[in-house]
Amino acid sequence: MTRPSIDTVIAALAADIRPVTSLPPPARRAISTIAIIMFVVAVGVYLLSDVGALRERQSGREAAFGLEMFAILATGLLAITAAFFASIPGRSRWWRTAPLPALAAWLILSGAGCYGDLVRNGASGWAMGESLHCLVFIVATSALLAGPVVWRLSRASPIEPLPVALLGGLGIAAFSAFILQFFHPFTVTFLDLAVHLVAILAVVVVIALLNRRALAPA
Amino acid sequence: MAENSGLPTNARAAAGTRWGELLAAAQTGDADAYREFLTAILPFVRTIARQRCWAEDMAEDVVQDVLLTIHRVRHTYEPGRPVKPWLAAITIRRSIDATRKRGRIGKRELFNQSAYETFADPRANHEPDTDAPRVLARMTEGLSRGQKEAIELVKIQEMSLVEASAASGQSVASLKVNIHRAMKKLRLGLVGSLE
Repeated sequence: MTRPSIDTVIAALAADIRPVTSLPPPARRAISTIAIIMFVVAVGVYLLSDVGALRERQSGREAAFGLEMFAILATGLLAITAAFFASIPGRSRWWRTAPLPALAAWLILSGAGCYGDLVRNGASGWAMGESLHCLVFIVATSALLAGPVVWRLSRASPIEPLPVALLGGLGIAAFSAFILQFFHPFTVTFLDLAVHLVAILAVVVVIALLNRRALAPA
Repeated sequence: MAENSGLPTNARAAAGTRWGELLAAAQTGDADAYREFLTAILPFVRTIARQRCWAEDMAEDVVQDVLLTIHRVRHTYEPGRPVKPWLAAITIRRSIDATRKRGRIGKRELFNQSAYETFADPRANHEPDTDAPRVLARMTEGLSRGQKEAIELVKIQEMSLVEASAASGQSVASLKVNIHRAMKKLRLGLVGSLE
């Protein structure tokens, strides 16, 4: 196929120019999106969860549980923020690694909690609780949160959608796992943790697979 | 990095600032500023593309692809921020895409000029030597004037239905009906001639 001359391309693009609204800075877009998510989380937790029972369940390990919750929340916040930065050409590539320390802390703290239970309770520390319910919960909550996040990310028409989708998927899955902690009726075992990770990976993979369609340039 | 790398540092910075102003003006719909911006950035984009593409024609394809991408994502430039990192990121991305695409095609496809030839005698491969126009004329003999016109415009000249409708005066619905009936007749005629 014959390539049109560069002057022809420039003339055609200039003829097609229409005013566009410049996107707000990624930090501002990330904050407003996170505010929407936090609102959904707060309403859900306030209406549906039993914070008293949660406090009773975690008595004796409040500090460890608090740190774990902080790590999950930090993973979600940093992953969503990083996704917005990664969606804009020319922003630092370091943003792509931003959620990794928090993610590592989350995995280590969850694993340490499970190990503590294994030591205290013996073989029952390997038992499978109601993990399938957790899987369904994480996937369903992620599906709910994915709509506004993917829509807002797609406004940037990312030129490299895969990292944006992976970071967005991780952020959504982390927020879902954060909400799950308020509804979790039993202590997490290693198998439960594995199922949680499978659910989170499933969410990340599905959103990454949908990246070309969902985040395709307008 | 770019063609203007021979310029003093402050001149390069001034060029970057000017590009930023032009792109910001283009975001408001200023066609002249946009044309000036696209023309001014060409050496910068071309230099990056040539560094990353091994073939000259591939680099030129990348340059055009970058211009189209800029057009699509111009709303992601934040006025006041440096424009060169934004441009460089787009150019590098499109260069990587082009290199991957070329690699994929190279792995699976092989260009072979003789594959288009059916006979050793070169005269046998000449289009005018075939009787295709006569065969086509004979096949369309049984079609009505409207059907012939619909087939000619949509199937042979590859016009869209809207374009064919404007050219022929037939409505889009009539064109669809005529094409459907004509194709049916042609198919029956072809089967009949084979039997």
